[in-house]
Amino acid sequence: MILPIRTLIPLLLPMLLSIDPAFARDIGPEDYERSRWHPIHFKPNIDNAKDEQCLSCHQEILERKVLNQSPAGITSTEVLAWYQTLSTYEGEQETFHRRHLVTPLATELMDLKCNTCHQGNDLREEAVIPPDHSNQDLTLRKSVNPDICLMCHGANAYELMGLPTPWTESRKNFQNNCLLCHSYIRTERHQVNYLKADAIEAAGKANSDVCYGCHGGRQWYRIAYPYPRNPWKSMSKVTPGWARDRPTESEPRFRKEIQQAAN
Amino acid sequence: MTSKKDKARIKAAVKRRKRETYTPVVPDKQLGFVHNNVDCIGCRACEIACKDKNGLAAGPRFRRVQYIEGGTYPDVYAYKVNMSCNHCESPACLPTCPTGAIFKRQEDGIVDIDSTLCIGCRRCEAACPFGAPQFDPNDNIVKKCNMCVDEIEAGRKPYCVMACMMRVLDIGSIDEIWRGSLDTVAVGPTDKVSKQVKNMANIELTKPSIGFVAHSKGKVK
Repeated sequence: MILPIRTLIPLLLPMLLSIDPAFARDIGPEDYERSRWHPIHFKPNIDNAKDEQCLSCHQEILERKVLNQSPAGITSTEVLAWYQTLSTYEGEQETFHRRHLVTPLATELMDLKCNTCHQGNDLREEAVIPPDHSNQDLTLRKSVNPDICLMCHGANAYELMGLPTPWTESRKNFQNNCLLCHSYIRTERHQVNYLKADAIEAAGKANSDVCYGCHGGRQWYRIAYPYPRNPWKSMSKVTPGWARDRPTESEPRFRKEIQQAAN
Repeated sequence: MTSKKDKARIKAAVKRRKRETYTPVVPDKQLGFVHNNVDCIGCRACEIACKDKNGLAAGPRFRRVQYIEGGTYPDVYAYKVNMSCNHCESPACLPTCPTGAIFKRQEDGIVDIDSTLCIGCRRCEAACPFGAPQFDPNDNIVKKCNMCVDEIEAGRKPYCVMACMMRVLDIGSIDEIWRGSLDTVAVGPTDKVSKQVKNMANIELTKPSIGFVAHSKGKVK
């Protein structure tokens, strides 16, 4: 029996794009409301969602550009975004998603997936019913828990580091060089599945101002992220007061071996 | 706003803008909202009044009445958390803005956006832990609540507050709200005002200027 070409396209297209055919068949572009409730938008399926699956419907996040000109006539080329004032960023203004996924710096240093940040359906309307109070990932009106941003973009806890003032004020005294201290006061960092640890180490060695690019330069919030704590080599075995209750390992879904399993 | 665009003035203003670091404005007085989560019936009159005032289409919502429902029979519950912009002490939206469109007012701490300077990069939208900046897909720019600053300057209260038929929403000095000393019917005589409710983002991120009368199931430790 010869199948008409129209029947074949939905079957072949997902294969060509290497999308799980079962997934693509489930979601019809005409059925928006049904798509919203697709299991892939919820736990536990979202943890195994591949970027290709997300982008098969949400491709526009990689295509959107900022306006060339604001209504009052400010052009995007004549102003500098915060990230553009840093040594790490070259190029014109880009959207948020593009700077985390496809711009040169993003592809060099980061390995973010859609589900690194997005942990479920768009929760902007309501908390889930019933609210799961044990699940801290749910945040009213945000599709991403801001704590996820904090993992990279938290404030520097300068008091803990023994700096007299925030880094922006005391940087000159330290030659604007994070590695002046942190070449030895540090442990193996960036060992998580959303970052390219080796590339970050290399970039930091080439220009230590790169560290500030994420740890402060793109800082939105005024608190530090309680990073999993591993004492560095010469450090006392006694846990200092400020590090009490800190985890010693990343959340399971960010650990490197998980990524290998998902792939 | 003048109808004529003064490009030279805009350019000069852009040059003045500080790069890299931002020290939050410490306002003379910080205004904030107070909302009674328990007595709010979720009629969304505040949302509609806000849309009316700001001429918004169906998509963007400066004010958002959020329904929280749950429990298992017979122990069920429902309450509302009502938020617009929280006019934070350290607004995360403000330093993200590349054009300087967002600003915090010295006199009352209101965080306002001049949408005519917005180039629609949507960074503020991502940065706000409470979902306040709203993208308007018709104009391709971001807009947000400014606590009806024109009404405040005229000595009146914002549209959302005036529209609230249950009188559960009000504004006032945030210190008075948190202390419980604000003269308002939104807070009952035995009610305690809390700064945070469940499922709300960590308030230490930006220190939002908002107080709630929390539901027993919505209280945080």
